[in-house]
Amino acid sequence: MSGRTISDKIIDAHTVEGADEVHRLVRVDAVLGHDATIALLADEFDVRGLEIWDPDRVILTNDHFSPPSTVERADISNRFLRFARTRKITNLLVDRGICHQLLVEHPLCVPGALIVGADSHTVMGGGLGACATGMGSTDVLFTLATGTTWLRVPPTIRVVFEGTLPDDCSGRDIVLELLRRFGESGARYRSLELVDESTGRICQDDRFAIANMAVEIGAKFGVFRPDEVTVEYCRRRDGVTPAGLVESDMDAAYERTVRMDLTGLTPRVAKPWSPANVVALKDLERVELSVAFLGSCSSARLSDLAAAAEVLRGKRVHPDVRFVVIPASMPQFQEALRAGHIATLMDAGAIINHPSCGPCGGIDKGVLGADDVCVSTSNRNFRGRMGHWDSRTYLASARSVARAATLGYLGGEE
Amino acid sequence: MISGVAWVFGDDLNTDVIHPPEYFSLDPERVRQGLFAKYDSTMVSRLRKGDVLVAGRNFGCGSSRETSIRSLLLNGVGAVIAVDFARIFFRSATNNGLPCLTFADPADLARVPNGGRVSVLPDQGLLSTIDGRHIPLEPPGRFVRRIWAAGGLLGLLPAR
Repeated sequence: MSGRTISDKIIDAHTVEGADEVHRLVRVDAVLGHDATIALLADEFDVRGLEIWDPDRVILTNDHFSPPSTVERADISNRFLRFARTRKITNLLVDRGICHQLLVEHPLCVPGALIVGADSHTVMGGGLGACATGMGSTDVLFTLATGTTWLRVPPTIRVVFEGTLPDDCSGRDIVLELLRRFGESGARYRSLELVDESTGRICQDDRFAIANMAVEIGAKFGVFRPDEVTVEYCRRRDGVTPAGLVESDMDAAYERTVRMDLTGLTPRVAKPWSPANVVALKDLERVELSVAFLGSCSSARLSDLAAAAEVLRGKRVHPDVRFVVIPASMPQFQEALRAGHIATLMDAGAIINHPSCGPCGGIDKGVLGADDVCVSTSNRNFRGRMGHWDSRTYLASARSVARAATLGYLGGEE
Repeated sequence: MISGVAWVFGDDLNTDVIHPPEYFSLDPERVRQGLFAKYDSTMVSRLRKGDVLVAGRNFGCGSSRETSIRSLLLNGVGAVIAVDFARIFFRSATNNGLPCLTFADPADLARVPNGGRVSVLPDQGLLSTIDGRHIPLEPPGRFVRRIWAAGGLLGLLPAR
């Protein structure tokens, strides 16, 4: 019998019972939810007279409508808050930022954990070596009530990062390159096991960006092999060294292994209307822009805000461009404030909104009109995703977005 | 048996197109109106109970917002047949009793006429066209049948 991958081991360690050869009932270590998708299940949960299996293991945060911009969304937000408060959810984080960022800032998200969330980008917990995955509201209702969920044990594709990440590239460029290679369904139903063997080590913020978009490749998990970067992050966050780092066996059975040499990487961009429609930025023909967005759970962490500030220092945002910056969470925002990055961005003409999802899902401030052409650090550029059906969104890194915001266009540079 | 008109789509049809985010709501009528609202604004008025969506690869990729599933059900869509499904969509549809089945032979996608009448027998894994073509589907697994039989995932909640 061959060895086990990281996700094999994490699922085995959480298995309550096996329904058949593929399906398992597993217990979870944490559940994540937000205003929109928890509001969808609240009435059903109440009508059935259910109770939260463990209120200490639930993290709920309002991020889609924070603060609400319409009366209907205010009502949805209040429905969510009433649910969370009557259920005495310990980790109810009100107006603190995007749920996925708050998850990785929370001690429940540790290497080896199994986490379910009511949003597809829950996979970002994999940046810390957790098996974290998104599900719909009905699944999450079941998990909130029982502390368990049904899973299929996924085959694993191993991705090994080698070489040295160039200074003008970040995790966003790495994951866009993965999307170019894999396509939108290249890791469908798979666990992506992400192994960092690069010389400089991919920083933790960039790992989050990569794990976050594993779902855009169709993956169930995007789990980094925990290493010294993981340990250092958890130690700083929790004050203790994380226990029980789960690694794959030497003879683990992978469906396949993909090696990616970072040394030759150049900034990437995804053209409308697919996150897998990726080209090298230098090969993109010039596109005039009206909006630049630095935000979403795929970016807008301290290192992204720092990279944008570095680009914008002493420069001005192009007068035809609205540059919207939304830090991923309050802690990221506050750290960026202390470091002076926010002042630099504002001096250059960027506008800063409260930490939240913003226009990423097309439902909050900053949405696009019919004529808008946007360059964004968000994770999806599906048609109509950020606003009007005719609007167009290009995905890129924080550095590329900031640079384009000053130029007024994307691509077309020699 | 599910019987209606086949609406045929391509690959990678994402949930933002299936149900645009601005139609996210707790109001069922608003959710119902949002189905493919930007893709084809006439579709909601033309859909009939029992109609079947037929698609290529990776149907339902993207957001986990279950309003996309609710809208399909509120508009009477009887089943979705695809080459394969994105995993969150497949789970959520199955959890809500909307049958999602895949072609036994992906090449059969081309044999389903867009706009033609079809019938689907989910338990047997069979799609039939009005002109007598019988197209085999992967029969649902034991686990999926169990959820269907329980009337959806919440039927499997342990009795209190």
